[in-house]
Parts: sequence; structure tokens; C-alpha cells
Amino acid sequence: MQLFVEAIGFGIASGAVIALGAVGFSVQFGMSNILNITYGSLMTLGAYVGLFLIDRSVSPWVALAVAGAVVGAISVVFHRVLLAPLVRRGTRAFALVIVTVSAGVILQYVIVAFAGPDAKSYGELSGQTFRLLGFVLTASQVTIIVIAVVLMLALHLLLTQTHLGRAMRATASNRILAQSCGINTDFVSDLAWLLSGALCGAAGVALAITTVSFDFSLGPVFLIPMIAAAVLGGIGQPYGAMLGGLVVGVATELTAAYSNPEYSQVAAFAILIAMLLIRPRGLFGAAWATRRLMA
Amino acid sequence: MRNVTNRLALPVALAAVLALVACGGGGGTSSGPPTQTGDLALGVIAPFTGPAAEFGTLLTAPCLAATDLINSDGGVMGHKVNCTSIDDTGDAADAVPNVTKAIATTTNLDWAIGLESNTAATTVPIVNGAKIPFFTTNGLTAFTKNNYAYYYRMTPGDDANGAAFAVWAVQQGYKKIAIVFQNNIGSEGNLPGLQAAMPKLGGSIALNLTIPADAASYSSDVERVIQASPDVLIWSADPQTTATFMANYKQLNNGNLPPMVTATDSLTPDFFNAVTKTVGADYVTNKIWLVGSYFDQTTAAFNTYKAALLADSKTHDIAPVLSTVGPPAGAYDGINIMALAMIEAKTTIGSYYNQYILDVVKPKSGATVVSNFADGAAALKAGKQIQYVGVLGQPTFDKYHNSAGEFDANKFNADGSATEVGKISGAQVIQLLG
Repeated sequence: MQLFVEAIGFGIASGAVIALGAVGFSVQFGMSNILNITYGSLMTLGAYVGLFLIDRSVSPWVALAVAGAVVGAISVVFHRVLLAPLVRRGTRAFALVIVTVSAGVILQYVIVAFAGPDAKSYGELSGQTFRLLGFVLTASQVTIIVIAVVLMLALHLLLTQTHLGRAMRATASNRILAQSCGINTDFVSDLAWLLSGALCGAAGVALAITTVSFDFSLGPVFLIPMIAAAVLGGIGQPYGAMLGGLVVGVATELTAAYSNPEYSQVAAFAILIAMLLIRPRGLFGAAWATRRLMA
Repeated sequence: MRNVTNRLALPVALAAVLALVACGGGGGTSSGPPTQTGDLALGVIAPFTGPAAEFGTLLTAPCLAATDLINSDGGVMGHKVNCTSIDDTGDAADAVPNVTKAIATTTNLDWAIGLESNTAATTVPIVNGAKIPFFTTNGLTAFTKNNYAYYYRMTPGDDANGAAFAVWAVQQGYKKIAIVFQNNIGSEGNLPGLQAAMPKLGGSIALNLTIPADAASYSSDVERVIQASPDVLIWSADPQTTATFMANYKQLNNGNLPPMVTATDSLTPDFFNAVTKTVGADYVTNKIWLVGSYFDQTTAAFNTYKAALLADSKTHDIAPVLSTVGPPAGAYDGINIMALAMIEAKTTIGSYYNQYILDVVKPKSGATVVSNFADGAAALKAGKQIQYVGVLGQPTFDKYHNSAGEFDANKFNADGSATEVGKISGAQVIQLLG
């Protein structure tokens, strides 16, 4: 029983990191209808921006915020300069995916060119270990969980309680109709890429803190579980992606605790497939998002 | 008349083909076997991209050391030798097109090193099929018995390494072990040897875990290890996985970490730096033993090898650590052996000089014992028989072209270099496996 409770706690901790990235990915896809595989390499970039700052004695949490801002800005530029023109020319969805895969690979090589291929580390940042109600969590894990929850709630409030959020949802739902209603869809789109990119950069730093050691392949390795979490929760739904992340994290840790750890990720993906068979739009997904995903 | 012409055509064509073969199509002389013209390409078949890219660097180093010495001695029969990187990506499937293409398009590629554990299953048959002699650094037990004529291995199989881990752990007084191996073919290859040896040594296996690489957390796995309360961790994983796992261990076990026995494969700057940064230099230098193939580091052969590594600007920085690691040293010896076999065979073509490789190292009375290429080439030029005894000592190839040698245990120094702290008898290891 002790191991069970501990594994749940470990799962929540790693799930929070996955959720952080998954929320950003979910919002980005929901808004733009582009399956952006570059997201993984941008996450890696966030981790390296964090490394640059932490090596200069900047607090890891400040580094997380700065990395978020940097990657957010780069995401906007990436969308404006590369993806938006392709979309305007009527490039098909599959071709766009290939473009993002290619851009991701190029970005990885750029990172290696500047930072080298060897493993990097922020050092031991886990801090004090807390034991409460059978859970064993470190200070950094608790902080990441809090950051993930706060950002998810903030994003949820932004999307549901503000004019801007309503404009974002309107743009996501029907861009032409939103334009005819006077919404500046380009601005809204930029904002969505800024926010999702910021979450991507922050997730990169959070991942690097959690894994302790990382290299240029960090983001792409974790992109698949993040996409799984986003799909599981329902594309375009921040709280869905959050819950999806937790399901992936907890399923992974429980499998590691009670069976062969080699197959820990298999359990998470089996849950994903089962969920999609039962509920194709995910836990909280809207029908429009599901149609886009299937398109 | 037409029949006569037809009858004459076949012998004439055969004679023409034979004449071409005798000339070697590449500038050979009619008095010896065919050979090649121009520089020779020495294939370094290893990952140069991807997560295992460090192997490419580690295997290029002995190639540079050996070819620097060979070229400064005038090359192999006057041919300059160049190290040619062939990226097998560390992925067995991706390696196939890369290696096949390199063999088809690289001029004078008739020898190779590398073909490490991640890709050996697919690369060994390809290179062997191309009749290219090669010295592999893989440790797969699948090659302990094989039928590849062009295959040579001077590093012990992983099963032997696993048994050596067990011997060292028990020698240190640790009888209850926990095995944690990453799920790759190289790491898991150690398992059969460990499982065979531990009961015979009076020890027990408290836990046996196989973990995936690059997980966000290994906390649940770590908790299982802590609950099994082993005396020692028998470990094999890449630097990042090790760093993440040990950081989780430290967090969950009140800062305490168990001693670790791992392979000398981990004797790399990447492993040292990654683990030191996460759990501290004190643990890395005092509680980690690295067990692997042993070789005497006071011999003339070793000094020549290390000096060559230090002399090349591309390998200078890693020379102190790299020179102490078995597989690269085996690759260096392999290059010298193949180069001397070429001279003995009077050809650089693999299908011809391959049969001379065992002769170069075979102990024989009256032979001149040589420990480097220059001495060997000079002795052969003087018409003497030679016996190459290299960095790894006297090679003793079995009928499968495997030469395992002895084992030792090392510890990291504070600068990332290593110091030998004990020896393990190769005979004992083989006996435990039996």
C-alpha cells in the first residue's frame, strides 16, 4: 500500500511536468489546427535557455519564466514567418506537419552546434524532501505542481472569463466568422502562439529540473507523452490536458511500481487508445477539435 | 566458320578476364595478388548522431592514433590511411542503409572498426558480406559463437562482463545485489553472466529491474530498489538515465546512495560529468567501480598508444581517460593487426589479407615480437615472421575470432580519469559461465 501511495505521488509530480507542456500543445493545436512537432525542439530550447541563466546564478524559477518568454516570442516568429504564410498558400495539413518536423530537426542541430551533444545539468535542485500522507515529494516537484495548476487555472480563466479568451475561442472555432465579427484574428493568433510557446519553454525548464540531466533530445523524447496527454484530455482544453498529463504520469509510475518498468510508458499509451475508442473527443474535448484531429 | 568463331570466343573471353583479374583492375602487379591504388579508407562504423553519438568520438580516437602512426611510417605499403566516419546512428534499423551506402560508395574501404552493440546485429552481416575484415567493439553474447569469417573481437562478451561484475561485488563483501539495467541490448547482455555467477559465488539477487531510458522520473523504480535493501547496485545505463535515477535515489533515501558496480563502458567524460553534477564527486570517485577488460598500462605498446592519442589535437583532451578503456584499445590493436596482415599478404584487399590476420598475432618460435605498426612493418620488410602483442596484450583468438582477455576494476579520479583498483581472473570468469 505504501508503494501504491508513493507511486501516485510520483505520478502526480511527473504528470505535472507533462501537463505543463501538454496544456501549451493543446492550446496551440486548438487555436491553429497545426500539429506542431517543432514544439519538442522548442521545449529543448527552453531547457538550454534555462541552463544559460542558471549557470549565471539566476534562480531556476526566474529562469523558467524567462525561458517561457523567450520561447513564446520565438514561437510567434516561427508561426508568423514560416507557418502562417504556408497556411495562407493552402498548404495541406500533412505537409505542414512535415515542415514542423523538419524545423524541429534543424533546431536540434542548431542547439547541438551551440551547446554540444553532451549531457547537461542544472545540478541538484530538488531541495528538501517532504513526506506527507504517504506521498514523498521534493520542494522542486511541489513548486512545479503549483506552477502547473496556477498556469492551468489562469489559462482556463483567460479563455472563459475574458473578452480576449472569447475572441481566441471564436477564432479557433471559425476564423472567417470571427474576422467578420471584428476580431483581429492575427493578433489573437499571435497571442495564442505566445502563450503556448511560453508554456512550452517553461515545460522545457521544468523537465530539465525533473530529469536532472538532459541533452538536445530532451523535448522530442517527451513530446509523444505530452501529445498523448493533450489528446487524452481533449484537444483545446487546458484542464483536459492537465488531467491527461496526470493520467499519463500516474499510469507510468504505477506500472513501474508493480510490473516491469520497461513497459511503464506502454501502460500510458494503452490507456490513451482505450480512451479514444470509448470517447474519441477525449475527456473534455469539443467535437470540432476531434474533427480537426481526425482530418 | 561461324562455329569455329563461337568456339574460340569463350577461351578468348576467359583469358581476357583472367588477365584483368591478375592485374587487379587497380594497379597491382602481375606477380602478386591484386591490390588497390590511392589512399585507404578505414571505416569507423559507429553512431555519430543521436543519443549514442559519443561512441563515434570514442571510436574515432583510436583510429586517429593508429593511422597517425601508420601514416608517419609511410602508410600501409605506401598507401596513406584515412579514418572514414560511417554513421550507424546507434539504431540497428537506421544503420542498414547508412552502412550499405558507405560500403557501396567509399573508395578503398577494406577494413573497419566499431560496429558496437546497439547496431552489431545488423551491421556485422553487412560488413562481413562485403568481405571487409573488421574488429568490432560489440559485447553481444550472440557473437560469442558465430560463423562470420571477417569478424574479430578483442573485447569480452557482455555475459563475461556480467560474471566479472558478480566476482568483483562478492570480492568487496557485497553478497546481496540489485540489478538495474537499461533496456538496451548491450546492458541486458550482462544479465545471463550475472545470474549464472552469483549463486556460484554464494550471493543472491534481491531485485532485477530493467528500466527505460530518458524517463521523467524513476522514483517508483528507485523505491523498489530501496525496499529490496541491496548491498550494492549492479548497474548499466547511459549517462542521463544514470543521473536521473541516482538523483531520484538520493532524494528518496535521505541523501544516501548504494555502492555501484558498472561497466568500463561508463568510463567516459559524459558519464562522469552527468553523474558528478547530480549526486556529487564524492560518490562518483568513492562508490562507483567500473569493471571491464584489463590490460597492462605500463607496456611499450600502451605507451605508444597513449602518446599517439596525446599527440593528436583531436584526441589530446580525452587521451588520459580513453587510453585506459578496453574497447578503444582493442580497436587500435585491431587496426595495427589488419595493417600488418595487409603487408604480410602483400595486398590491401580484405578477401585476400583476411587469412593473414590470425598469423600476425599467432605465437610462433623465432618470430619477432612487435608492439606497434612501425616495428612490425620493418620486420616484415626484412623478411622476418612477426608476432603482434599490442595494448591488450597477447591476443588469443578462439575459433570464433573472439579474444576475451582479463578483467579489472577501476575507480574514477577527481578529474574524470580512472585508476585501477583490482584484477579479476579471466579464467575464473569463464569457469563461472561454464
